[in-house]
Amino acid sequence: MATLTADRKSALRRELTGIVGPGGVLSEPDELLVYESDGLTLFRALADFVVFPTTADHVSAIVRLANREKLPFVARGAGTGLSGGCLPAEGGIVLSMMRMNRVLEVDYDNQIAVVEPGLVNLHLSWAVGPRGFYYAPDPSSQQACTIGGNIANNSGGPHTLKYGVTVNHVLGLEVVMPDGELVWLGGRTRESLGYDVTGLFVGSEGTFGIATKIVVRILKKPQAVKTVLAVFDQVEQASAAVSAIIARGLVPAAVEMIDQLTIQAVEDAFGCGYPRDAAAALLIEVDGLRVGMDAQADRIVAACRESGARDVRAAADEAERQLLWKGRKSAFGAYGRVSPAYMVMDGVIPRTKLPYVLGRVNEIVAAHGLRVGNVFHAGDGNLHPNILYDPRKPGEEARVVEAGAQIMKVCAEVGGSISGEHGIGLEKSDFMPFIFSAADLAFMHKVKTAFNPTGLCNPGKVFPTKKSCVEAGPVAYRPHAIEEQGLAQRF
Amino acid sequence: MSALLDSLRATVGAPHVLTGVELSPFVVEGRTPEAAVFPGKIDEVAAVVAHAAAAGATIMPWGGGTAIAVGEPPSRAGIVLGMRRLARVIEHEPGDLTVTAEAGLTLGALQEALRARGQWLSLDPPDAERATVGGLIAANAAGPRRHLYGTVRDLLIGVTVITADGSVVRGGGKVVKNVAGYDLPKLFIGSWGTLGVVVDATFKLRPVPDDERLIAVRFDRLKDAGAAARALLAGDLIPNAVELLDPSAAAALGLGAEVTLIVGFDGLSEQVDWQVAALTAQVGPLGGREAATLPPATWPRLATIGRDAFASPAALMTFSVLPTLVADTMEQGAQAARQRGLSSAWTAHAGVGTVTGALLAGREAASVATVLTEWRTIAGAGGGHATLTWAPLAVKSQVPVWGDAGPAGRIMQRIKAQLDPNNVLNPGRFVAGI
Repeated sequence: MATLTADRKSALRRELTGIVGPGGVLSEPDELLVYESDGLTLFRALADFVVFPTTADHVSAIVRLANREKLPFVARGAGTGLSGGCLPAEGGIVLSMMRMNRVLEVDYDNQIAVVEPGLVNLHLSWAVGPRGFYYAPDPSSQQACTIGGNIANNSGGPHTLKYGVTVNHVLGLEVVMPDGELVWLGGRTRESLGYDVTGLFVGSEGTFGIATKIVVRILKKPQAVKTVLAVFDQVEQASAAVSAIIARGLVPAAVEMIDQLTIQAVEDAFGCGYPRDAAAALLIEVDGLRVGMDAQADRIVAACRESGARDVRAAADEAERQLLWKGRKSAFGAYGRVSPAYMVMDGVIPRTKLPYVLGRVNEIVAAHGLRVGNVFHAGDGNLHPNILYDPRKPGEEARVVEAGAQIMKVCAEVGGSISGEHGIGLEKSDFMPFIFSAADLAFMHKVKTAFNPTGLCNPGKVFPTKKSCVEAGPVAYRPHAIEEQGLAQRF
Repeated sequence: MSALLDSLRATVGAPHVLTGVELSPFVVEGRTPEAAVFPGKIDEVAAVVAHAAAAGATIMPWGGGTAIAVGEPPSRAGIVLGMRRLARVIEHEPGDLTVTAEAGLTLGALQEALRARGQWLSLDPPDAERATVGGLIAANAAGPRRHLYGTVRDLLIGVTVITADGSVVRGGGKVVKNVAGYDLPKLFIGSWGTLGVVVDATFKLRPVPDDERLIAVRFDRLKDAGAAARALLAGDLIPNAVELLDPSAAAALGLGAEVTLIVGFDGLSEQVDWQVAALTAQVGPLGGREAATLPPATWPRLATIGRDAFASPAALMTFSVLPTLVADTMEQGAQAARQRGLSSAWTAHAGVGTVTGALLAGREAASVATVLTEWRTIAGAGGGHATLTWAPLAVKSQVPVWGDAGPAGRIMQRIKAQLDPNNVLNPGRFVAGI
């Protein structure tokens, strides 16, 4: 990190304030501290400035200034990311997008909305809900995370099984390119002209530029929803049920798995009605037309029973359905009751490899003298093993990191991926060679160069690199207030 | 060139290199390639590209050839790289709902293999029997069912490509959810072979629905049919296709020369039954009449009906507009043609805003070009764009095939410059001079 002299720093501060106005720039160490981490508190890096633009022109002016000064810059949303993706790895400027949080336009007839990047994901569904619409991508942090952050990470959520991830819902982006130029990628029509630069931008983890307007699709709420809880005495049975459901020609909206450790933690904390002695439970949701809903639920029940489910029941009413989902969605907060800290992993495997990989995860974690809780998007094969540990015990965190790397290797070996929704960021950049060859990475780097030739836009991410200004140290997991209330979680 | 031909023959075997008169099926826009080469393995594809690049020759990837006429005329004749020998299903695991197939496999053959196990790739582009996996990615091809199931970008999860310098690069993977690294598969969708040669691809699949039905409803006026389509989208029904045909297109489909709205439904039989009844009740007050079930064989014809409405059209243009503007676009486009004394036929995937206009032959290229230019203006006025998907050279010389990509076009040029700096792959055929 280039160290700024006090004189230069105060001159730049004045210039940045000139762009965004008073109250829009942070530069004191105690103010900057709030922005040193994201949801993955393992890594910390301090910016020179945190700036709060309110218009695309502000963003462009800040980026041009950063280019002139050769300062790195990175956009940040709510900071709920889990891979260190929005950390100022090499110092410089953090652009907090949180003041650009408006719904600019909703076109119900064409089922699109134009929003600013700092808009909280769930707030869009709130805005269009009264007219019977919603925004489909539903990351578990949707109470807090922003749509701009979702663009950077191509965020998923429980309902991606049927509805796809963020990229499937984004039609166009107004972007401040890494050189400060304001450009539209895609637009409001379904088909864009030329290369799908919109699709490429989504999931580029902030390394291709900064989105300042986002055109998303909004969907009609389904007529009906049905949620089924299936309880199993063996994890293998639950895994087999996932494939059995698929084999019966069903694409549920969501299929989530919760293991015993997690069930017990959740029941201790919130009492959501999961049986404490179950080895695993599946939470399965179908949605769509009212007609045929029962027939689909019947098929699911049959598939679960055939796979050895001890008990299968559909939520009797909306209250019970909400309670079951609360159990799923508050797992993060509940872990706090059984362990002082934990680290969430994110890997993807082919669905049919679930039994093998879950077994391997347990073996690996046990071999490191640790415990693991699993709560994840089973329908997509998107694993979230949560390794429990005590950061005060010397060496324990290092063992967690080591076990995590081995789990990622197992995902890679069975033909999977090292990230399903949390991104590579800082955390996994060194794992990229597990699944990509040198030629693959070189090709990706050329694509990056086309967008970001100077590398000043969010440096140090995605690609294997030295983590220059980043501290990785024994920082205990700190739950966010909304996690403690069971309102939101990290996966 | 003869040195290059020798190394190509050494790479793929002499019987798989065509030259001279054998090249007549591979003439594009009057240009005859130097050779057509048919590698049988991924390594051979890589070697062919590397040899061509080293010799300064260009590469034109070739799947089923069904969309080869789309694009500006190639700037140089080069080597046709035929993918037909790479035609295997590599892996289909029904429990994973994914398939990996080689690029030269036809979509028809792929669907047949998948259907035998109760699944399908939810894409129904024109000419599925001949179109290949690689070709449908390059052309971003889709059909009527895109209304519910989306396009290649919603289904493609991994690709292996040969880059312009002949190296093998993999993007994405085999799992349905994956955010590791950049989403490289997106780069190749609709890139018309200008960034790499796709050699295999992995897709998400869907179970074959229990039941499916196609309903045609007639209207007196396009405006009413457009309003009915909008009402359908605003309601609770979940159609898998919403097609709007003008009288000429409906006649070509054998339905009688009237404005026709065709709506597809799939799912459980009880769901299809209920939706068909609901649709019939809904369209009546909006001017729809004689709702009738069409035979399943109508499906593949829907994908091509815009093109087939006239025996020898003067040009085809495909518009992407907002769904609410579909009927207006069709009316304004037909009006613009009429004013120049030309006939036109119109079809649309109405729910997603994809409109195809076919212009009837019979006049000199100048008036055809004028109408096409006006059509493009109509598309742009509503924030959309239009692509000249087919026209003779005389028309292409007057009307650009692609719309103006604007400032985003410069990003596309930079991508091309990074990935194919020597312009080896399909040069000159795509947007922004790419």
